[in-house]
Order: sequence, then C-alpha cells, then structure tokens
Amino acid sequence: MITTGSKLLVGSAVAAGLLALIYGVANGGALGTIGLISAAAGLALLAGISTYGRDANVSAMDTDAFESSAAAQASATPSLWPLLIAVGATAMALGLASLPALFILGAIIVTAGALEWLVQGWSERASAERGYNSHARNFLIDPLEIPIAAAIVFGIVAYSFSRVMLGLPSKSSTVIGFSIVSALVLAIGAVVGVKRGASKTALTGTFGLATVALIAGGTVAGVNGEREIEVHKTTAYYAARGECGAEEVSADEKASQTVAGKSNVAAEVIFDGTTLTWTAPGFVPTVEGAAPLTLPRSNPNNVMFRNESGGEARLVIGMNPRLDDNGQPVGPEQICTALAKEGGVQFLTLIFDLPSFATDEGYEFAVPGTDATLEVVVP
Amino acid sequence: MSERPSTPRRLAHAARLALLGAGALAISACAQDAPQDTWAPEGENAQTIHNLQWPIFLVAGIVGVIVMAVVLYAVIKFKDRGQPIPEQSHGNPIIEYTFIALPAAILAVIAGFTVNTIFDLAETQDTECVINVTGQQWWWEYDYPVAADGSICGYTPSNAAAVPLITSGQVIIPTDTKVLIRGTSRDVIHSFWIPKLNGKRDMVPGRVHTWRFHADGPGIYAGQCTEFCGLSHANMRMEMIALDPDDFQAWLDNQLEPYQSPEAGTLAAAGEVTYVSQCARCHQVDGLVDGNGDPIVSAPDQWVYSGAAPNLTNFMTRNTFAGASWDLLTPACRDEVWNASPEDFGAAYLKGVTPECLNEIDLKEWLRDAPAKKPMYADATALLETDGKVRGMPNLGLSEDQINELVAYLLERK
Repeated sequence: MITTGSKLLVGSAVAAGLLALIYGVANGGALGTIGLISAAAGLALLAGISTYGRDANVSAMDTDAFESSAAAQASATPSLWPLLIAVGATAMALGLASLPALFILGAIIVTAGALEWLVQGWSERASAERGYNSHARNFLIDPLEIPIAAAIVFGIVAYSFSRVMLGLPSKSSTVIGFSIVSALVLAIGAVVGVKRGASKTALTGTFGLATVALIAGGTVAGVNGEREIEVHKTTAYYAARGECGAEEVSADEKASQTVAGKSNVAAEVIFDGTTLTWTAPGFVPTVEGAAPLTLPRSNPNNVMFRNESGGEARLVIGMNPRLDDNGQPVGPEQICTALAKEGGVQFLTLIFDLPSFATDEGYEFAVPGTDATLEVVVP
Repeated sequence: MSERPSTPRRLAHAARLALLGAGALAISACAQDAPQDTWAPEGENAQTIHNLQWPIFLVAGIVGVIVMAVVLYAVIKFKDRGQPIPEQSHGNPIIEYTFIALPAAILAVIAGFTVNTIFDLAETQDTECVINVTGQQWWWEYDYPVAADGSICGYTPSNAAAVPLITSGQVIIPTDTKVLIRGTSRDVIHSFWIPKLNGKRDMVPGRVHTWRFHADGPGIYAGQCTEFCGLSHANMRMEMIALDPDDFQAWLDNQLEPYQSPEAGTLAAAGEVTYVSQCARCHQVDGLVDGNGDPIVSAPDQWVYSGAAPNLTNFMTRNTFAGASWDLLTPACRDEVWNASPEDFGAAYLKGVTPECLNEIDLKEWLRDAPAKKPMYADATALLETDGKVRGMPNLGLSEDQINELVAYLLERK
C-alpha cells in the first residue's frame, strides 16, 4: 500500500524532473537546472524512504496492523491553509500584471501555505494516535514557524513605529514621543516585574491593544506621509549646477557627505583668509603647508576644508575631466564644497581622471573671491 | 580475529605519535629561508611588536602547560576504578575568586602593554619620509610626494627638480628612517603586511590609513596582502627595499632621469611602437611622447576596474613584476641580490635587471597570456558587473615578434 504522502512525493519528484528538463532545454540555465534536478533527486529520496519506511508493506492479512496503520486512518481534517494559498496565488497573478514585489509576496505566501498544508496533512496521518501526531507536527514546524512569526510581528511593529516617528510634525516632537513611549515601556515593565501575580490575560490584552494601536497609528502616519525633511546638498549638487562662486544660497554645516570619510581624509585644507595650506598625518603643516598636495589618480580622495577665515568661504577645484569622442567632458569641470561658515568645515571627494602632466593647467584648489590657491599634484 | 593491544602498548603507541607530531612541529619552526618570519624583527616597529608578543606567548605557554598538567593529573588521579563516589560539594569562594582574579589580572597586564604598543605604532609625529600606498587587484602602487623644500623622503635630487615618483611592486625606503605609509585601496579591502618590519594594516577604499616602517639595515623585506581580495589574493605580494642613504640618493636620482627613446632601428625601437599600440592605453611611461610631441597618457580608468595599471617608467630598476609574484631576475642573479652582504646590497640592487640577468621565461609567459599565469578576471566580455572593465591584465594576443620587441624595449626602462 502506497500512502498519500508517498504519492505526493513521487509526483513532486517527477514534476521537478520534468521541469528541470523543460527549463534546461528551453532556457539553458545551468543554475536553475541543477537546482531542479537536485530537488527531484531529494524528493525521490524522500519518496523512497516514505514508501519503504512507512506502512507500505503492511499486509492485508495482518488485520491489527492494517487497521492501525496511518494510511488506514481517516482523512485529514479540513484546513484553512488552502485559503491562504488562494490569497497568495491571487497576489501572484496581480503581481504579474502590476508590481513585481506583489508577485514575490504572493509566491512567499503560496510557499508558506503549501508548506503548512503539507505538514498538516502529513502529521494528521503520521500515526494512529492524535496526541503523537500533534506533537510530531509541532516538533517539525515550530522551529520554523515561531521565529518567522516573531520576525514578521517585530517587522510590522518596527515599521509602524518608524512611520509614526517620521510622521510627527518636527524633530522635537519625535524626541518627546520617543521619550514617552520608552517611559511607558519602562513603567509597564517595572509594574510587571514588581507585580509577579499579573494575570496572563491582562498582559496579553495590554500588549495586544498596544500593538494594534501602534499598527493603526503607523497606518495612519504612513498614509499621511513623512514630514518634510531638509535634504542637505552634496558637492555633486553644486558641481552639476556650476554653483561654485563666492556667492551662496545657504551656508550649511551639514552638507558633508559621509561621517566615515571625515575620519580618514587624504588631507585637510585650511584657509586662513589669505592663504591655503594643508596638513595630513605624517606631515608637519608649518613645513609642508607650502608644498603641493599629492593625491592619487583614479581613486576617491576625501579632502576636508577648514575655514579659519573671518567670513564664509568655499573650496573649489577644476577637475580637467577626460573628453568623450564628441569633445564633451565626461565629468564635472569643477567641483566645490558648500559655503563653510567661519570656523566651519566642509567635505569634498575628488576623483582625478588625468595626471597633472597631462593637463594644460594642472590642478589647483582655490577660494572664490580671494587669491588663495594650492597646487595639487596627481602623479 | 586479532587480539586488541593491551593498555600499556596503546599508551606507548599514542606517546610515539605525539612525539612524532611534536617533532614535526618543531622541525617546521626551524626554517632557514623564511623571509616572512614574524619572529625575526628587523626594524624598530616590528621589534616593538616582538617585545609584546614574546612575553605574551611565554605567559600563555606557561598557563597552557599548567592547565594541561592539572587536567592530566585530574584525569589520571581520579579515573573511575570502581571506587566510591567522593563527597559532592559545590562552591568554594576562595578558589572561585582566585580563578577569576588571576586570569583577570594577567589579562589586565597584557591589555595595558598591548594598548601602549598600539599607541606607539600609531605615532605619526616623528615621520621622516611619507609614501602613499594604493592597493588594487592584485598589486600595490607607491608614490612619493615632494616636500615643501623640494625633497623626497628628506633627499633632494641632484640631477633634476623633484616631482612625485610613482612605482609598484617594490617600495624603496632609506634605512634607519622613520617612514610613514599612507595607504588606501582602489577597489576592495587589501591589507599591507611586511612581517619583519611591522604588523598588518588594512587598506580600505575611500579611507586613508597610516602605518609606520623602519628598517635597521639594507635588504629586501618581503610581504603579502593579508586580506582576502579576490581570485589572485595569494599572488598579491610586495617587497620593501631598504637602501643606505647614498644608495637611496642614487636610486632617487636614477628615477628622475629623463626618458630616452631607444636607438632607431633597434629591436627596442620596434618595441616602443608596439608598446604605444598595445600597452600604453593602461600602462604609463613618463616622458613618452607621440609624433606631435604631446605626452602619451594612459587611461587605465577606461579599461581596468580599479582604474590603474603599474607605471613602467623605470620597470627594470625593480626586480619583480606582476604584483611582485615573479622575479625579473634569473634565480642566480636573484640570489646574488638577496644574499648580498649589507655593504654590497645597495650596489647589487641598483644594478637593476641586466640583459644577462633577465628572467625572460616568466616575463614572456606573462606577455604571452597573463591570465594563464596569474588568475584574473580579464575577459572583458564576461564582466557585465564591471561594465566590461577587466580586473587584472588581459591576454593581448601578442605575436612572438611583438613579445620580443617589448622585452627589448622594457629592458631599457631603467
């Protein structure tokens, strides 16, 4: 007697084998073919084990074994998993016509539903004892189900919370809101810790309500959208517009690009109001300051501009970009920092296409509106 | 059915095996030709590390021996021989606190010396020579910036105004000088390691890392990349060459000699033409000009993912190539340089590669099919993710005549 589970596995193995054949011939994709052949081999192995190890060889003459074998038990109870699979399949169909993300979500739902249904169907007929069947199901699926469910719930809660924080009208209100929430969590935790006799129902209800409220708040906030958050301009922004003159739209201390880059700059260029000097680890600024700054070619060079003059200033450099076949520059012709306030710093990332000797004028840092310059040598 | 050996025989067998293993370990630790021996410092920074690691190994060894002895004693002494189970007790505050406090005290002392060493090695204020180091798959580029007084590493060229030097494979430093490298990477993370002169320092793209070097005496100090960086990580080597002051001055002057075209009608002259047509798109030879007298500028950023290829201006003054993975010298000539006495080392190294000493076999194999010699992602048609840019040197499909011409041309790059 071949069980339903064995039939399912045999069918799956055959299907995987056929798909491998079709995919291999039609697409010629080695990776997919290998995956499908592996699946077919794995499923065939499981089918073999199931057929051999389960109750396939129960003799009809052995009445006790025949009546108590798992395959002889009643069919699996009705299940809701097919409903979920149907939802997933619908999402996949819609996704094909609209959003790829919806298709992927549908595929995940279908896979999860099919897996759950498969395990349920198998476990309910694993033996003649319902208690053991239930234990077998939990033993197999809990290690998957519980972490995934926890991750989904955590993800929803975290996403909802972030929507609420981003939806609040100002940065100050997010600080206040976060403080209130964290204080509440701390207070509830303290109460639970002190009152060890708190009922499970009350706790579940409280956390359930809080979760629902958070998700509702996150949904509302998500629909309303984020508050307006100022985008700080980067050097690329100014380079693209050629806005590297002495005049400026706004002096912004936060227009730098990365924090990490600041900690490992190639050099720090200092403007004292009349001259530009530079310093870097290993160089003594008073001696080296007058020397050209050497920077490598074809590599991002992070340079910090420190404005120690009495007013606002910015650092500008002509980049001598390579020309394309039509004689047009392939990169910005000059780039600059945002305007740095008195005592402020700005950050600049430079990539040189050509060595200095291949350009007519070489490379030179300058501060618009002043005569301050600093030679840069690209070997 | 064979009889199982008795316990004493089995113990004797195990002891013999253990002795054999220990002997093999001891013998392997006695290598004579070990240019990357971490226990043989030859500079003050490596000595600083050595001064820390030696006592730590000693303490760790003593602790290890004590622990093993106690474990063995407990295993043998309290082996189950059918005796009654001794009285079970739990908790002895004196022993427990002792065994917490003792390791904590040992670790605290080690941490104190370690932190002190880290700060010593991070010092940059006493630098006498700065060299920029850039890693890329799978070789190192070095450039020497010019100081405000027109010197390079404290040496003023005697024959020309100083301009930043650029080289690869071998980095030249003056002996007894505090050298600071300022390192970064053009593609992935690499790690710079010359064991006899200092420890390892990662080179991360977009960041600049400083690392000190100091060589007590002249010689070749070998190293290799120690951060897995792709297919030919194992072939990304480097050599730091320390030269005495006079020799360093001579090396510096030679590097700044103006470019000289090969004599017309020679094989090298044909090689110059081949070089311009086949190699100059990626490799730079400073001073090489076209028919109009304009400098020929390489554009490796258009062909190579890292955006760089080794500068070949003075190729034959260094004696390795392809990321210092192969020697440009024949084995006999190589040994002459490596085994030269400190007094003779400078002269031996500064000879560079002569026609008699050229390792033509490896160089020609490289020119014939570089990816076959050193694994690289050099098939542009298979590199969608890098937009067709190669990682490493591709097979240029050169003819044997072209290869001979190129070798003749490169031989004059001194």
